[in-house]
Amino acid sequence: MIECKDVSKAYQIGDMVTEAVRNICFKVEVGEFLAILGHSGSGKSTLLSIIGGLTRPSGGQVAVDGEDIWQWSDNERARFRNCTIGFVFQFASLIPTLTVLDNIALPSLFGEGMTRAARLRARDLAGIVGLSDKVDSYPSEISGGQQRRVAISRAFLNDPKIVLADEPTGDLDEATEAQVMDLFTGMCRQHKTTILMVTHNRDLIKSADRTLVMKDGGIL
Amino acid sequence: MRLYHVALHEIGRRKTRTAYTASGIVISVALLVASIIVAIAGQKDIVLIINRYGHSLTIFPATSTETTLKGFGIGSGQYIPESALPAIREVYDSAIKSGWEARGGWVMEPGAPGGVELLQPATFAPRLYEETTIRDRHAVIAGVDPEAEYKSRFWWEVETGKLVSRPDEVMAGSVFGKITGVNLGDRVEINGHSLKLVGVLRETDSPDDYMIFGVLSTVQEIFGKQGLISMINVRAMCNYCPVGDAEVALNKTVVGVRATSQRELALAQHTIFRNVTNVILGFVALSFVIACMAMFNMVLGTIHGRLREIGLFKVLGASRGQLMRLFTYEAVMMGLLGGIVGYLLGYAMASWIAPWLIPGTTVEFTWWHPVLAVLAAITCSILATLYPAFFASRIRAAEAFRAL
Repeated sequence: MIECKDVSKAYQIGDMVTEAVRNICFKVEVGEFLAILGHSGSGKSTLLSIIGGLTRPSGGQVAVDGEDIWQWSDNERARFRNCTIGFVFQFASLIPTLTVLDNIALPSLFGEGMTRAARLRARDLAGIVGLSDKVDSYPSEISGGQQRRVAISRAFLNDPKIVLADEPTGDLDEATEAQVMDLFTGMCRQHKTTILMVTHNRDLIKSADRTLVMKDGGIL
Repeated sequence: MRLYHVALHEIGRRKTRTAYTASGIVISVALLVASIIVAIAGQKDIVLIINRYGHSLTIFPATSTETTLKGFGIGSGQYIPESALPAIREVYDSAIKSGWEARGGWVMEPGAPGGVELLQPATFAPRLYEETTIRDRHAVIAGVDPEAEYKSRFWWEVETGKLVSRPDEVMAGSVFGKITGVNLGDRVEINGHSLKLVGVLRETDSPDDYMIFGVLSTVQEIFGKQGLISMINVRAMCNYCPVGDAEVALNKTVVGVRATSQRELALAQHTIFRNVTNVILGFVALSFVIACMAMFNMVLGTIHGRLREIGLFKVLGASRGQLMRLFTYEAVMMGLLGGIVGYLLGYAMASWIAPWLIPGTTVEFTWWHPVLAVLAAITCSILATLYPAFFASRIRAAEAFRAL
């Protein structure tokens, strides 16, 4: 499903070259839940960004279903992000001027268009995460945990094959963190989605099928 | 929901920012609309003067120095003898013919096909003004040659009744009729003569509104001024007749009269007004450039503040084209808003400025003014947003991702 071959990423700042990711090689099978553990600055978010088609690698290949996504055009990668990938970020990242329902349905706007079917699906997803009564609220009118649930619902709107999660419970308290994590893993299992989750929190990797540990841009 | 709904939500939820960003355009559009409306009102006023009086000459006794009613010879004892009319006509016709020839016009000798007969003869409308008292009110009566008068003052319209035509009839100006309360069919006593009121004129916005009119010969007889007139209005009966040349010739040749033409004055006024309007429109154009630059800076600043949002759109699969469209929609909506508000403000400004600048004028609604206002605002808004939108669409997904 996902195959990284010698993926590396170097940043040049002045005369100094910093290698954020070094010769990473791994495979993720369909439906697998892979956790990538590492401290801050270990390169895990950069790796996730490369796999998600957001950061161009300095070297190596990222193949999804056998195709190198970095050989595609910008528009093809945009379509890939829209149709194949669901993103969950450290922060909820909602559009403050749109309602909960519109935020969940937002990915459809950049794909097939926000049809009635997309809005119905968004409403269903809001129900699954327990926000049926908040669909007409704005992000500023709901709590941080609820915002995170909106973001998770949004990631599943287009029924993605892959979910990339970057510290999905970032700034939540322990109780909310557990709830959100249960919801997230439950939805992934239910949708048979391949998951790549990066975290520095060892408690979160319990649900994963496999864990990779990153340090200084490489896999240990 | 479509992309423009996102833009609409953005504008709707951020009213202060939208108002601040569109304010420059609102001001520019308001200035544009106000300038155009006032300019049109002014031009209309001048064109009205040219149409009414532009192709005509007014001839007074030479000692008169005013063009007010008092200067028409009323009470001054200054008159033009009616017997001078043929000489005046001859000088006038000759000057017009020479004027045409001097301008390259082709006027053949009398009798030849296409000769001077093709030039419509001018209408000479003499008047005798006298002061009198009617129904205990001071009044001015004008004796007129009905046929020549109606040709010369083609804009006259009868409010009620008919135009005066017989020696025992009179006709009132609109204000005169209201002040004295005379009605159709009333007998009006003038210097011991009883005349029948047969008509009331519609308002003309001229001194005629305050007068009463009778047949010239009757008025001459009533006031013992047989063979005398106070002034002659000469209507050229053609739009481009060189009446200025006739004016010069009459003033040089005919002793005891003074001819004045309003055409040159009105044309000069027209040219000055047009030039001033063009200068003002130039300033308005400059204000649009400044508004565009201000909006450009504000939108660019806004985009930096919306990096997270742009990043999220990119992460969720928005293409460059979709991001460009999103910002263009916002620009169009802001332009639409700025155009409408600017038009209303401009119309209000014009309603206040026009009557002050051109007394008696009224501002009229014209359908293309709001259309122009909105189009100008949208164009300015799109131009100001084009580069910032392009910049937003080119932001690397990775940079945007880091902002999330």
